[in-house]
Amino acid sequence: MFSTRLFCLTVFLVTTFLIGCSSGDPEKEPVILGKIELSDGWARPAAQGQSSAVYMSISNGTASRDSISNIASPIAANAGIHETYKGENGIIGMRPAPGQVIPSGEDLYFKPNGLHIMLMKLKEDLAVGDSIDVDITFNRVGTHSIRVPVKVQQ
Amino acid sequence: MKNRPIVFMLLAGLFCLATACSNPDVIPNFEDTNFSLVNEDGSAVNFPEDFKGQTSVITFIFTHCPDVCPVITANMKNIQSQLADTTGIQFIEISFDPERDTPSVLAKYKKLYKLNEQFSLLTGQPAEVDSLLSKLEITAIKTRVDSLHRDSSEYAMKHSNTIYIMDEEGRIRKEYPANVVPPENVIEDLQKIR
Ligand SMILES: [Cu+2]
Repeated sequence: MFSTRLFCLTVFLVTTFLIGCSSGDPEKEPVILGKIELSDGWARPAAQGQSSAVYMSISNGTASRDSISNIASPIAANAGIHETYKGENGIIGMRPAPGQVIPSGEDLYFKPNGLHIMLMKLKEDLAVGDSIDVDITFNRVGTHSIRVPVKVQQ
Repeated sequence: MKNRPIVFMLLAGLFCLATACSNPDVIPNFEDTNFSLVNEDGSAVNFPEDFKGQTSVITFIFTHCPDVCPVITANMKNIQSQLADTTGIQFIEISFDPERDTPSVLAKYKKLYKLNEQFSLLTGQPAEVDSLLSKLEITAIKTRVDSLHRDSSEYAMKHSNTIYIMDEEGRIRKEYPANVVPPENVIEDLQKIR
């Protein structure tokens, strides 16, 4: 008697699990029209152990909004999105600004004095002429990578 | 008019705010105080004494600041490159993070950012740097940069955003918002002060 009930319960659970996986939520649908593009990327020079900032434009050419869930680079121990902000009395600071959302058809700009991708604890020196890879993971479209040159701003 | 005292206080408050905003801050003065610092070569320097005799463009940075400080450094370089004649002018960047900005770290920054010999990058004992900064009314406060708090050694700073012009006698004469001031504004004043 007990084993029959256990069997039913197992069938019920497995079925639920399978249905859950196959239907999923609409945000995880594999078919995505249009694409997300990363362009105009560049990074600041910095010494090993220090931080660099990466700038670029991201355009969301897909039919839905998307958001950034993770940033990584093989060259940095930590990476994330930061924003530079103005405080009182002309003070300037920067703070984490994770989870940036890009509506469908819009662009997100990382640029000096504003949003930047912060690479922390660099594993080696970044000098002008080098280039580095940055991996940006979006909630819907997954991970996109871009190779960016190291430049000094004019 | 039961509320008259409150209205009066509000007006008085507004007036104070307005006057505080319209009066430019009094520019700080060294009053013969000197500070023992080190430059990026590791050589001892006496600030401002050793920098008298030339006109100085002074700013404040820390090298772990990859966004706004390089904008400030780019602005310093633009002031330098847009000056028709840089004779008698020197460029000084003082670190507000002396714990991490040792002379060798500053030397590397100078090289990576291609700053020439007209630039001096200064640091020193934290207490000495702090007292210089407070003399110059420069603020720098440590802040967290890692949203997940994975690493407490990784800090940033919120800080003043200032370029000063110091004349040949070591007097601070002008003050600008470092990351946004157009180089030509600084150059115009430099031509009058040098
Ligand atoms: Cu940052």
